[in-house]
Amino acid sequence: MQQTKTTSAAESRARRERRQSLITAFDIAIGIAILVAAWQVVYWLRLWPPFLFPSPSSTAGEFVALVRAGTLESALLGTLWRIVIGFGLALALGFGTGVLMVHFKRFGRLMGSFSLGLQSFPSLAWVPFAILIIGLNDAGMIFVVVISSVFSIMMSTYSGLRNTPSIYLKAAKNMGTGNLSLFGSVMVPAAMPSLISGARQAWSFAWHALIGAEMLMGAIGLGGVLYAGSEFLKMNEVIVSMIVIFAIGLVADRLLFYRLEERVRSVWGLNRPIG
Amino acid sequence: MDGGVYPPILAGNERILQVRNLTKVYPNPGGADLEDLVVLDGISFDVREGEFVTIVGPSGSGKTTLLNIIAGLESYDGGDVVVSGHQVSGSGTDIAMIFQEDSLFPWLNVQDNVAFGLKQRGVPKDERGKMASQYIELVGLTKFAKSYTHQLSGGMKQRVAIARGLAMNPRVLLMDEPFGALDVLTRETLQYQIQEIHERTGKTILFVTHDVREAATLGDRVIMFSHGPAKIKEQYLIDLKRPRNVEDPALTGTIGAILKNLREEDVFATDKDNLGSRE
Repeated sequence: MQQTKTTSAAESRARRERRQSLITAFDIAIGIAILVAAWQVVYWLRLWPPFLFPSPSSTAGEFVALVRAGTLESALLGTLWRIVIGFGLALALGFGTGVLMVHFKRFGRLMGSFSLGLQSFPSLAWVPFAILIIGLNDAGMIFVVVISSVFSIMMSTYSGLRNTPSIYLKAAKNMGTGNLSLFGSVMVPAAMPSLISGARQAWSFAWHALIGAEMLMGAIGLGGVLYAGSEFLKMNEVIVSMIVIFAIGLVADRLLFYRLEERVRSVWGLNRPIG
Repeated sequence: MDGGVYPPILAGNERILQVRNLTKVYPNPGGADLEDLVVLDGISFDVREGEFVTIVGPSGSGKTTLLNIIAGLESYDGGDVVVSGHQVSGSGTDIAMIFQEDSLFPWLNVQDNVAFGLKQRGVPKDERGKMASQYIELVGLTKFAKSYTHQLSGGMKQRVAIARGLAMNPRVLLMDEPFGALDVLTRETLQYQIQEIHERTGKTILFVTHDVREAATLGDRVIMFSHGPAKIKEQYLIDLKRPRNVEDPALTGTIGAILKNLREEDVFATDKDNLGSRE
């Protein structure tokens, strides 16, 4: 009796979760529609001349033109390449340093207080340093991406691993788990919720930093297109790049980090409604 | 009765666990000039193969410490702990422990939780899957093999933990108040089930509880601890047919005797003594 009750409760929970995720997708569509409608209305009010405040349709035309000219494609490729390399490096470096911090306790405490200061340091304030030390190139921009996202990965690794509940360690040791396996099979999976939310936050830092660095360093990338648009008074181009930047940020967060987080949350049972 | 004297029940079986004069002292956290806290004060007892022994005593009498030491999870300061002829040093897989808290891994399903220790031991995938299924069946949770632990009730979680412990095929199964956090009905069901599992597997079980009724219901023998520092105050043999339940009239006498003996352990007097010595 107890068993059937649990099954039906789990099923109805799963149904409720599916319904909630459907509503979310629907909400997004409605939100975009309202935004475009409001844009059109403001355009009709003629508060600014059309070249400063273009209509949704002329912006869509500019989007097609930029795609046809190949400008958007090369900008997109440049930006994606930098973010993948930069964020990947930040993940590897941040995780590695976090592990070392757990292992060497004194180093951990030192880095812990140190990185609190660095985490709140504005990422674009690294740009002049990067230009002078590395140069006005991809490596310079990747440096800015890494330095602005590595600390939140490092700190979430550190705190996630350090807070492994001792009962898991006791149980694993009791089952003959060696030190290396204790790390890989218990501490890392136990820290997974913390690791993923750290990576999600780091992704948003990395994305901010990259677009900013591309603008300041005049790169072939979305930030570069955005900046050129304002230099040449092409508001169309500015809006198109803004939308693409927004969309990539959103898609990456939704399709990658949100999904990962949801998966972990549902396995761990962190999504259960109260009661 | 002193711990060294062995009661006649199961006398023919091998002594699988021997605890001799075991002492454990915690340094006083208050500082060097304060007296250290003696948790276990010369504990000696044996457990024979296939025996179901329960330990009962006041809270804070060092019962959990004793199990941690036998499991190799904690060090000790004097005496010997011998499991099938080998001195315990560090944790090995000979001894499985079931904890009171939820110790299942939330990132693994029931099947993988039960197979975890076998994987650590290097048992090939197919084989450990088969073994895990077998123990999940033993605790009656086959339907839930693919469930994650948050989908299980407290009682079901403890049954998975028992399956996980048994899957290691340990010489001794240690249970540290495993039903302490469960409601009364679930508790009774599990008390019945663990007796059934004991009958079917013939496992040697050392079971710690502060519930006198539970201790008497489950044990072939009940070892009673005094209030800390723990010494063995008395042992009771319970030679009754299984499965028993808490309301078994034949148990009433023993339960009454243990309770009376426990009440003589004036917890507050001991605390006053401790306070006095710290001044």
